[in-house]
Amino acid sequence: MKTKNKSMIVIFLAPAIFLYTVVFLYPTIRTVIMSFFKVEGVTDAVSGWKFNGMGNFRTLFHTPLFMSAMQNISLIWLVGGVGVMLVSLLFGVILTSGVHGKSFFRSVIYLPNVISAVAMGTMWINYVYNPNFGLLSSILKTLGFSEAAATQWTGPEMVFWSMLVAYCFGMVGYHMLIWMSGIERIPVDFYEAATIEGANVFQRFSKITLPLLKGVCRTNIVLWTVSTMAFFVWSQLFSPVNLSASTVTPMSYMYELVFGASNSAITVRDSGAGAAIGVILTIVVVIVFLFTQLIVRHDDVEL
Amino acid sequence: MANKKIRQKTNWKKELALAPGYLIVGIWVVFTFVLIGWIVLASFSTTREIFDGNLFKFATGLHPENYVKAWKTHKVSSYFMNSLVYTLISCTVVIIVAAPAAYVLSRFKFRGNGFLQNLFATALGIPAIMIIMPLFALFSQMHVTQSRGLLIFLYIAINVPFTVFFLNTFFHNLSVTFEEAAAIDGCSPMKTFWMIMLPLAQPGIITVTIFNFITIWNEYFISLIFANTAKTRPVAVGLYSMIQSMRYTGDWGGMFAAVVIVFLPTFILYIFLSEKIIASVTGGAIKG
Repeated sequence: MKTKNKSMIVIFLAPAIFLYTVVFLYPTIRTVIMSFFKVEGVTDAVSGWKFNGMGNFRTLFHTPLFMSAMQNISLIWLVGGVGVMLVSLLFGVILTSGVHGKSFFRSVIYLPNVISAVAMGTMWINYVYNPNFGLLSSILKTLGFSEAAATQWTGPEMVFWSMLVAYCFGMVGYHMLIWMSGIERIPVDFYEAATIEGANVFQRFSKITLPLLKGVCRTNIVLWTVSTMAFFVWSQLFSPVNLSASTVTPMSYMYELVFGASNSAITVRDSGAGAAIGVILTIVVVIVFLFTQLIVRHDDVEL
Repeated sequence: MANKKIRQKTNWKKELALAPGYLIVGIWVVFTFVLIGWIVLASFSTTREIFDGNLFKFATGLHPENYVKAWKTHKVSSYFMNSLVYTLISCTVVIIVAAPAAYVLSRFKFRGNGFLQNLFATALGIPAIMIIMPLFALFSQMHVTQSRGLLIFLYIAINVPFTVFFLNTFFHNLSVTFEEAAAIDGCSPMKTFWMIMLPLAQPGIITVTIFNFITIWNEYFISLIFANTAKTRPVAVGLYSMIQSMRYTGDWGGMFAAVVIVFLPTFILYIFLSEKIIASVTGGAIKG
C-alpha cells in the first residue's frame, strides 16, 4: 500500500512538475542570470554572453524612454489603482447591500473581463474616443461643452489618461468580485446587531466592513500589482506604430528591445537589458507582496 | 456566496435609501451596453454611415456582408479556427495534467507537499516577461517557433499552475469517505481517482475549464511572440494585425464585424455561464 501510493504520487505529479520546470523554473532562473550579462540577441549562445555586473540596470536607468516607461507604470499603478480600488469597493458594497438584480449587475460589470482586450481597446479607441462620431464627444456636445468635445482623446496630450481610463474600466469588475466575496463572508448578524444598536450605513461600513476586509484588500493590491506590471496590450493598442513616451510601459519597451518588431530607430537590440526589466518588475511584485503582508497582518478574523 | 438571502417583499423605504446605489451602478451598466451595442450596430453599417453618425437609421439596410468580408477576405476564419483548436486542445490537456497533481497534493501527506503547493502558487505571480526570453531561445534552437504545436504546449504549461491551485481546493473539500469505501472494495488508489474522484470533481473541472477557455481564447502576448504568422495567429493577435491594416484601407464596418466575431464566443459562453465564471474568479483569488 505504502509503495503503491508512492508510485502514484510520482506518476501523478511528474507531468505537472515537468511543465513547471520547463516553462517557469528554468526560464526564470535563466532570465535572472541573463540580466547581469551583456547579451545582444535573445537566441545568442551562452558562450557569447559577457558579464556586465549591474551594467544593464545602469543603462536602463539612464535611458529616457525606459524612465518614461517606469513613470507611466507608476502612474498606472498608483492613480489607476486608487481609482479602481475605490470604484470596485463602492460597487461591491452597493451590490451586497440588498439591491434587486444583483447578479445581473454583477455580470454586466464583470463582462469586459471576458472579452479580448484587443476587442475592448478597439471599441474604446474607435468609438468612445473618436473625435468625429465618438460617444465622449457627442455627450460633451449635447451638454454644450463644444470646446471639450473637440479634444483629441488619443492625441499626444491625452492619450495616457485615455488609455488608463479604458484599462481601468475593465479592471473594476474583476476587483469588485473579490471585494464582494470578502463582504459576503462577513456574518450577517454583525450588521443586524449593529443596526439594532443604531449604527447607520456609514458607521456599519467603516466599523464592520472595512476592518474585516483587510485580508481581501491585500489580495486585491497584490493582484492589481501583478496585472499592472504585465501592462502591454493597451500600450500597443494606443500607440500601434512606434513606442511613444506617453504610452510606453516596461513590457512594451522590453518587447521592443528584445523582439524589436517596429522599425523605429529609438532602440537597439539588447536582450540583457530586457532581462533586467523582467527582474525589476518581479522585484516590484515581491516588494508589494511583502509590504502588504507586513501592513495587513493576519490578526483579523480569518474570512 | 453561500448566504443567498430569501427574497423579501419590496420595502420601499429601503429601496429609496438604495436609490443612489442603483443610479451609480445603473449608469455603469448602461455605458457598457451602449459600448457593446454600438459596435454591434456599426458592424452592420457602412463606413459612410458610421462617420455621418447615422447608425440607427440603416438607410441602406443591414450590411451582413461586412461579416462575410471579415470572415473570408480578412482571414478571420483562419484566426478563429486556430483559436478554437488551441483553446480546445489546451483546455483538455491542462485538466489531464493538473487534476491528478492537484488530487495528490490535496490528499497525500509526503515530504515536499507544502513546498510544491507554494511552488505552483508562485507561478501565478511570475510575470510573463520573466519566462519569455529563455523560452524563445530554447525553442528557436529546437526550430519549433511559429508552430501550432508549440503554442498549444505553452498554453498548457502556463495554465497548469492555476488549475492545480484551483482544483487542489476543490478536492480538499470532497469527503474522504468515497476513497475509504473504494479501498474497502479493493479498488486501487489510482483507479479510485480516475473512476470515482475525477467524476466527483466535475463541477470544479467545468468551472476552471471555462475560466481557462476565456484566458486562452483572449491570450495575446505569448502568441504575439510564438505564433505571429498569417497561418498560425489566434484571434487576439489576428484582430490586432487586421485593425492595423483596416485603419488604412478604411473598412470600418468590416473592422467592427471582426471585433464582434472575436468576442462572440466568450460573450455567449458568459451569457449562459456567468455564475460559474464568477465563481471561478473568486475561488481562484481568495487564497492568492
